[in-house]
Amino acid sequence: MSNLDQKLKKMGRLASIALVIIGMALLVIEVFVHRHGEIAMEDLPVFPAVFAFVASVFIVVISIGIRAILSRREDYYD
Amino acid sequence: MTDLTPGLLMILAAGAVPYLPHHFRQFFMLGAIALSAFGLTAGAGVHWALPVFGHELILHHADHLTLPFAIIFHIAAALNVIYGWHERKAMEHTAGLAYAGAAIAALHAGDLITLFIWWEATAVTSVFLILASASERANQAAMRYLLVQVASGVMLLAGASLYWRETGSWAFAAMELGSLGTWLIFLAFGIKAAFPLLNGWLQDAYPEATVIGTVMLSAFTTKLAIYALARGFAGTEYLIWIGAVMAAVLIFFALIENDLRRVLAYSLNNQLGFMIVGIGIGTDLAINGAVAHAFVSIIYKALLFMAIGAVLHRVGTAKASELGGLYKFMPLTMVFCIIGGMSIAAFPLFSGFTAKAVVMKAVGYKGLVEVYLILLAASVGALYHSGIRLTYSTFFSHDSGHRPQEAPINMLVAMAIAGGLCIAIGVMPTQFYQLLPYALDYQPYDASHIIGQLQLVVFGMLAFAFMMRFGFYPKNIAATVLNSDWFYRRLAPWIVLPLVQSGLAMAKAAETAVVSFAQSMMRIAKDMSNHPLSGPVIPGPAAVVQVILLAMILAVVYAALG
Repeated sequence: MSNLDQKLKKMGRLASIALVIIGMALLVIEVFVHRHGEIAMEDLPVFPAVFAFVASVFIVVISIGIRAILSRREDYYD
Repeated sequence: MTDLTPGLLMILAAGAVPYLPHHFRQFFMLGAIALSAFGLTAGAGVHWALPVFGHELILHHADHLTLPFAIIFHIAAALNVIYGWHERKAMEHTAGLAYAGAAIAALHAGDLITLFIWWEATAVTSVFLILASASERANQAAMRYLLVQVASGVMLLAGASLYWRETGSWAFAAMELGSLGTWLIFLAFGIKAAFPLLNGWLQDAYPEATVIGTVMLSAFTTKLAIYALARGFAGTEYLIWIGAVMAAVLIFFALIENDLRRVLAYSLNNQLGFMIVGIGIGTDLAINGAVAHAFVSIIYKALLFMAIGAVLHRVGTAKASELGGLYKFMPLTMVFCIIGGMSIAAFPLFSGFTAKAVVMKAVGYKGLVEVYLILLAASVGALYHSGIRLTYSTFFSHDSGHRPQEAPINMLVAMAIAGGLCIAIGVMPTQFYQLLPYALDYQPYDASHIIGQLQLVVFGMLAFAFMMRFGFYPKNIAATVLNSDWFYRRLAPWIVLPLVQSGLAMAKAAETAVVSFAQSMMRIAKDMSNHPLSGPVIPGPAAVVQVILLAMILAVVYAALG
């Protein structure tokens, strides 16, 4: 493993920790600031956070499925 | 001077571009774009009409809808000149300037014939940006691209002619879907706007163009179609669902495609979905949203294409599976790529935030809950493919072994301007909204909206980190992902070729049968003349054949009449 790889790994870990902290802060802040949306569902507590997480996993799962069906070798059209 | 159609000057100037020395040429092109932009000061109204064969071609018509598109098209054209400054060959510069000019002229077409002329001109000029790659692969993609684009033009002309017969008018104004004519026009627009299943040309052709060619292509054709739909078919309900499908489905393709320029072509297509939903709703607020979204997406999309183009220029590949760890070597390009990514992900203080908010508000107002949720998920998707995946697999991920130089200075300048615009629009929404077709009294920056959007983005990123950690996230694999161009690249040949081949075989068999039939007839005739049955009358073989043919003709005629 090169130096750069080790550095990238470390950066990834730091970024993940930072994301967790920011994410928690964004959840806590809802206690103090009233949040509302364009549709009724959005007014539920921490709706955007939950929605984003679920949508992300959903998108990735479907993508993996589509890859299984529609992926061909690289020179398919050549 | 301002009566001249904006864009026309650029097309004329393009004729001189190949004959000018390198640096002077770039200044000359910027000058032509600036002069053309001066034509926008003419204001709303019809400024140039040309009578031809008793019909009036309206060459320069401007109003509140043409102006924002014309402004951003001029900005994009100028950015392209700067981004391509290092390129000494004239081909892309000439084609790019003429292409941008044709797209701008098309915006100002007041009638369908003029629109058709410029519509085709964008196709014919832009194909050279793909041909400039000068590879067999690119040549083939270019021909496919041209066929599709010209087909769109032919449909537009056919539709316009039918529409004229129906209404007696060539004017390009709001239309109602119903007749064959309006449907043809709608589909012609739909091809260029890359509707679902009509989108294959986009992902097929754009990534095959040159580094600067792809950046040029990303701005004009599809957004011209968005403009045309907004003028002709605002409020057409089908568009809401077409747009929603575009916004949703293309995300998956963008996530698994390996060529990052192709990822961006999917992402571009997915962004068009938001605009088309806005046009389908058709209220003032929704049209404002669609136009705002087109305006900002031209900039951030160009910025992302520029960043990946710079990587391609320096490293020689834009394949995700071959990239990684470049942040150390191309840090400025990385920063610009992240700005583009934060814009498309609608991060507060970036342009996507101010534009997407308007579309979402319009959808919410209309009470379209399902569409709203689809678009919300599509926003998370855009964050994934263009915000996270693009930046992560190029600049971070792992050490790919490449040690490239930072991008050339002219590319950095173009990216800096585009990035600056992304932030400027993000922090000055009120000023930006003044460019939109209709008055808009809206402030996207309230605590509620900011927190909601931040939660959306941060938890999307958290999910990514989470899936990476547990090895659940799909790896970058070298592969071809089938798209709707498969129908004409593989399925059509599979069906049509055997049909043609079996047709040929049948024709051959028929020919053999006829020939052997004639030969046997000849033999019988010869036998009969050589071995007379009786008497002195001996007809030659030709006479016997004639009698037989006559009998056959009689039989056929009799059968036909009887």
